[in-house]
Amino acid sequence: MQDLVNAVVEMMEDEAMALTKKYVAKGVPPVQIIDAYKEALRIIGKRFEECTYFVPELVLAGEMMKAATELIRPMMTESASNLGTPRIGKLLLGTVEGDIHDIGKDMVHMLMDINGFEVLDLGVDVPAQRFWEEYTKFQPEIIGMSGLLTLAFESMKQVVDLLKDRGARDNVKVIIGGGQMDEQACKYVGADAFATDVVAGVNICKGWVGQLHDGTT
Amino acid sequence: MIIIGEKINGTRKQVGSAIANRDADFIRDLALRQFEGGASYLDVNAGGLPGREPEDMAWLVQTVQEAVPDATLCLDSPNHAALRAGIERTDKTPMLNSLSGEKFRVDGVLPLACKFGTELIVLPLDDNGIPQTSNGRLDIFRRLAEMTRNGGLPDEKLYVDPLVMAISTGTDNGNITLETCRKIKEEFPKVHLTCGLSNISFGMPLRSILNQAFLVLAIQAGMDSAIINPEERELRGILMAAETVLGKDRHCLNFNRAFRAGKIGPKRD
Repeated sequence: MQDLVNAVVEMMEDEAMALTKKYVAKGVPPVQIIDAYKEALRIIGKRFEECTYFVPELVLAGEMMKAATELIRPMMTESASNLGTPRIGKLLLGTVEGDIHDIGKDMVHMLMDINGFEVLDLGVDVPAQRFWEEYTKFQPEIIGMSGLLTLAFESMKQVVDLLKDRGARDNVKVIIGGGQMDEQACKYVGADAFATDVVAGVNICKGWVGQLHDGTT
Repeated sequence: MIIIGEKINGTRKQVGSAIANRDADFIRDLALRQFEGGASYLDVNAGGLPGREPEDMAWLVQTVQEAVPDATLCLDSPNHAALRAGIERTDKTPMLNSLSGEKFRVDGVLPLACKFGTELIVLPLDDNGIPQTSNGRLDIFRRLAEMTRNGGLPDEKLYVDPLVMAISTGTDNGNITLETCRKIKEEFPKVHLTCGLSNISFGMPLRSILNQAFLVLAIQAGMDSAIINPEERELRGILMAAETVLGKDRHCLNFNRAFRAGKIGPKRD
């Protein structure tokens, strides 16, 4: 299915959809089709890091992936309904209180999903208390907080402080993301890591769950 | 065109550390360069970490004002205590950045603007976020304009930012902003329109030419102010050229003056 991979990578939206339909009609297992998309998205992510692809390509890739999964989902059996691969970890995600920027957060959502994470996205302007409540229910390995404004530092700190108060800080990794994030902000907030671009952030998270699974946290 | 220089912003790393270290020379230089580049207003954002902001704002205001007494300061903060600290130290009535339909800004920023009769940047968004349509933005602005009028602020003091969203994430985002400009100008002819231009090109390569193209279109849609880096020589040239060809520069005097002063066009040795 290299032709499908290529079509997605080269942003040929119509061709990708036509090929997807063709393979479905031929009886190719849905999991294999999704794997082709995942391979395409891996390459797209790499091109993004290399600065030959930019945000619009990521957005369109996400749309193509979504269209394909919507086409395939009804055909998938119960056991394969999680797109074939076991989820490697859980991420609780949101833009913090006082901030409504969602471009970065939405891209993290998409890429983390593609990389095998189960993502619970709380949306924008999410108060600390809400992060805490959803954390206790969802029990993620990672909490990702997004914010573009420096105002967001304070809200992010509130979430971490709440985790500390409730004795849960050591049970979860915290990453903050946004254009203004740096070492100083990370320290102030009390996060484990910061990222100023989406792909870098996703790589940090993948590293963390890899460690968890190796038992070397 | 009223240019608001964007560079004195504590969320930028170098400026942030200059504020923390009270490096007055760095700030003075930044203020002076922008003013000389044509910015009659200077945005002042103390940024950094919360708690210290009012104190930092007060120091910044004093430092910038000493360097360029003729500039008007545009105090940029969501924190009304920081705005207040800034207002109390300005000799010239400042501009405030910004009011929006968010409750904490209506409660915190609006009373300050009315009390001190400041100019005011207004963002048509509210606690539900940024409307995806020009009509949604117009609705919010109507509500805010009623409040500012009731508070005694004339429309001339308002600088409405139609909100520029990244073209990389929505193909229609540029059109929505331009449409918002036209609708606001039609209903409120006396308000100014301003914008943080560079958002348009977020996530894209060759950002500067995208910014330039969008600026020209925005000027045609009624934009008469912009929050930019006035030291970007090409942007300044495009801006003046657009105003000139749109008949906003009588006998092309501004354009030719800027040319003679060496402020636009290829740099001469």
